[in-house]
Amino acid sequence: MAKSTQKITQHSTAEYFAKNLQQVGFSSPVKAVLTTLKEAVDNSLDACEEAEILPELEIIVKRAGNGASKNSELVEIIVDDNGPGIEGDDLPKVFGEYLSSSKFGRGRCSRGQQGIGISAATTWAQLTNAAGVKVTSKTSGMRKAVRCQIDVDIKANKGLAKSKETIEWDRPHGTRVEFKIDGRVQLNGDGGIITYLEGTTLVNPHLTLRYKLLDQPEVEVKRVTDTVPEIPPPTLPHPHTLKLGEFMTHAHLYGKVSLDNFLRKGFSRVSDEAIKGFIGQKMPKAFLKESINSFSEEQFKTVFQAIQGTELVNPSTRSVMTIGEESLSKSIQRLGQIDFFSVVARKPRICDYKPVAVEVAIARFVNKVNLSEENEPVQLLRFANRVPLQFDKAACAITNAVESVNWRSYGLAQSKDSLPMGPYVFAVSVVSPFIKFKNASKETIDASEDLVEEIRRALMQAGQKLSRHIKREFRAADLERKLQHIEKFGPILVQCLGKIVSAPPARLKRAEEGLAKLLGRDGRDAEKELAEAETQLKKVKERQKGGNSGDGGESAAEVSDDNVEADEQLEMAELRASASDEDSSSGARKKK
Amino acid sequence: MANPETLRKSDKDIPKMAEKICNEMLKDLEHAKRPILEAVKCSLDNSIYDHKVGYLTPGKKMVATELNVSSVQKMARTVFFLEILLNNIKTGAVNTKRELYYIAKGFVKSDPHYRPLDFDDQDESDSIIQFICDMLTVYREEMNCFANDRGGQTYSKQLIVTEHLTDGTKAEVDLGSLGTTPFQPKNKPQNFKLKTRGKVDFCLVIESEGTANTLVSNGFTKRHKCIMVGAQGVPSNGVRGWVNMIQNQLKVPVYFYGDLDAYTLQNIYRTLKAGSAASLIRNQDFSAPHVHFLGVLPEDVKKYDLHCYPVNEKNIADARSLKKARDTLQNDPFFQDKKNRKLSDILHWLLKNKVRCEQQSIFSVDPKDPTTPERIIIEKIKNGSYV
Repeated sequence: MAKSTQKITQHSTAEYFAKNLQQVGFSSPVKAVLTTLKEAVDNSLDACEEAEILPELEIIVKRAGNGASKNSELVEIIVDDNGPGIEGDDLPKVFGEYLSSSKFGRGRCSRGQQGIGISAATTWAQLTNAAGVKVTSKTSGMRKAVRCQIDVDIKANKGLAKSKETIEWDRPHGTRVEFKIDGRVQLNGDGGIITYLEGTTLVNPHLTLRYKLLDQPEVEVKRVTDTVPEIPPPTLPHPHTLKLGEFMTHAHLYGKVSLDNFLRKGFSRVSDEAIKGFIGQKMPKAFLKESINSFSEEQFKTVFQAIQGTELVNPSTRSVMTIGEESLSKSIQRLGQIDFFSVVARKPRICDYKPVAVEVAIARFVNKVNLSEENEPVQLLRFANRVPLQFDKAACAITNAVESVNWRSYGLAQSKDSLPMGPYVFAVSVVSPFIKFKNASKETIDASEDLVEEIRRALMQAGQKLSRHIKREFRAADLERKLQHIEKFGPILVQCLGKIVSAPPARLKRAEEGLAKLLGRDGRDAEKELAEAETQLKKVKERQKGGNSGDGGESAAEVSDDNVEADEQLEMAELRASASDEDSSSGARKKK
Repeated sequence: MANPETLRKSDKDIPKMAEKICNEMLKDLEHAKRPILEAVKCSLDNSIYDHKVGYLTPGKKMVATELNVSSVQKMARTVFFLEILLNNIKTGAVNTKRELYYIAKGFVKSDPHYRPLDFDDQDESDSIIQFICDMLTVYREEMNCFANDRGGQTYSKQLIVTEHLTDGTKAEVDLGSLGTTPFQPKNKPQNFKLKTRGKVDFCLVIESEGTANTLVSNGFTKRHKCIMVGAQGVPSNGVRGWVNMIQNQLKVPVYFYGDLDAYTLQNIYRTLKAGSAASLIRNQDFSAPHVHFLGVLPEDVKKYDLHCYPVNEKNIADARSLKKARDTLQNDPFFQDKKNRKLSDILHWLLKNKVRCEQQSIFSVDPKDPTTPERIIIEKIKNGSYV
């Protein structure tokens, strides 16, 4: 083999990301602004939840002149929170060092996971505006706040604190970050800041948010619950979720312990029974007492294969947190005046050996700006661990699931394998300590069969509730139409009959009176039915108002206690829907 | 102007019948009683087939429409349209269904009082016309309403058609003088008188108009004393009436040649031979009960090694057609009649073998000789290879 004249060099993680910022959400000026905002908000919300503080966030996005790059603006993004604050010494690590995170691999449902996002935002600011992020922070133990600029030392993957000073700050604790970056501000649409903020509001009922975007008036959205979501404790990994390499790395973390100890302490769902099962799958019993430190690759492989061949209890779903139907019902009403909504929170399930909770909210707003029209696809809001996903919609598990449901059977228009149509917002939230994203920028959830099916079931449950409401509306409209028919067509019928038989006016008058009597009876019946339908609708609305203490429209939030029962009902409904589809689409073949 | 009397011998006085119905409706209304309109139920479950009669006839089921909030619109539209049709009969004006749709729209436009009656599309006015005909048990053509001319292009060296015009004159068309240009029968063929120059041996109705034209271009009608008709898919009323005339006036055997598939047997051949369930009232004059199914027959597939397409249960269209064929065997009185057992056997064969064979496949038998299809057809007629 010819010897290469080129030197093999090593690079820091920061160097890698600085060269590949597009991989973590900085692929266009519009996305750069949104990603920066998103990372700052995610960090604030995660910190507040960890410290059990009800979050209050203030966001300002404004233009600060022309950007250094062509066709870009200099955009200032400020996120101010009432979180626990960060010690001065930790600021460079948090904002300027890649993969430095308190959450990495902990198996919790936090928004941030790897410790890349906020450092990438600092790098983007540094690369486009020659200055990183300005941070002000104060913990409850500090008398004064620390203020400094954090830059990323790209060569060393280290954060650098510049112009550090202490200042008076009129609050017990909190953090304020100020970014000045090259970018472009998009407010509305799928990738818009307003869509992001509304989505964040929806899935965080405990959040109070104030924001001022460009020249628009300031908006304040108050929290609808005073309970900080309890983050479930992390669980140990399930042996079936790891690959051989991961299994070996996991073993090295435990140092000099016996295999028996490692398996019991390092994983969930490994019991005596399970270990017997491993032995039954050709794992030598003698391995159990040996130290894993001395294990060869071959030995690890034998153990791993035995584990994979053994049936194990599914992992626990206790590590998954949910927003809950009640909170989601209240939260959705913060987005605008609603005339109908339906909310479904499924119990956590195991998909691909990972615990997952799916929640769905479907709402129809009254006079909402930017809402789809009757003949346009619904607005789909996707969430992963309570973070809105705004790009690369097509490949996402949530989109696939929405498209796979036959919405026609629930009363919505839909082309085959497409999103349904109409002025609705569909919000789908997937929460899991191990969400499998398609890319590092966490824009799309990988569409595994299990996960798509679980989301699909939640959607179908919400669809059934929606369908009940649409049918009621249709019935009311139908009765209204019938009443109008009487007034419209009765006189014409008498007049046409009179023409054909050349009836004298006196006869026509008698016929008109007779018709009025006949149809009057029908009319009164129809009015009675209409009034009954309206009373029922009112009752439901009152009931929901009482339950939710909100002033929104009708809710169909029902707690689905038992997924199995609901699933059986869904399967029956699906069968009926597919049968009716078959009937309606049958037609003769057109030939020649 | 058309003379409805020429369509069939009928003693029905349509204006009088309509006036009677309307009078009774008015009387009911005067007494605050709900008028009821009754019409013959034109559907397969009310169809009777008797091979001695030869075509589908209506059973005893009737559709009754009583006046209420749901039916008041339909009733008002029915009486409104009845007035238009009676006026046509009175003046002798004829129209197509499409034209009547626009005429109705014109009336609605000219009188705001009628505005609620407006028809959004032709389907709505068509169903009202159909309901009126079923109610009066009359042909649509007797209400001076005719469909578009479609299909029925006819070729013959012997056939002479005489049309009796409304001004008392006659027009004579000698099909032998038209070369390869077809004669197009009108949508009211009952106005024609047919005669032939010399003897005609048979009439051949081909499902595909293109194939009929090819056979003529290759000299079929020169070499054989025959009448050739292109059906152009499902035969229209005009085609059915026209073949009925050829059969009855010229007393020649009629053969049908088309695809070997369930659709052709159920929808094309059965409609030509026995009429349709949707037009039960008119099948007498719009069907040709003596027509034979010349092919493609299952035995031809084997004999001539014809190319077949598979019919796959997994393909939605194919699965639907198989389901329809099974339903037909169970529910269609035409295929259940013992005289048509050979036809139902073909349907069974198609269901069992799950294939279909197109009529044009005989062109593959000897691709070098363009007269092979003609030879096969004549051979089949001579050998009695038909159903």
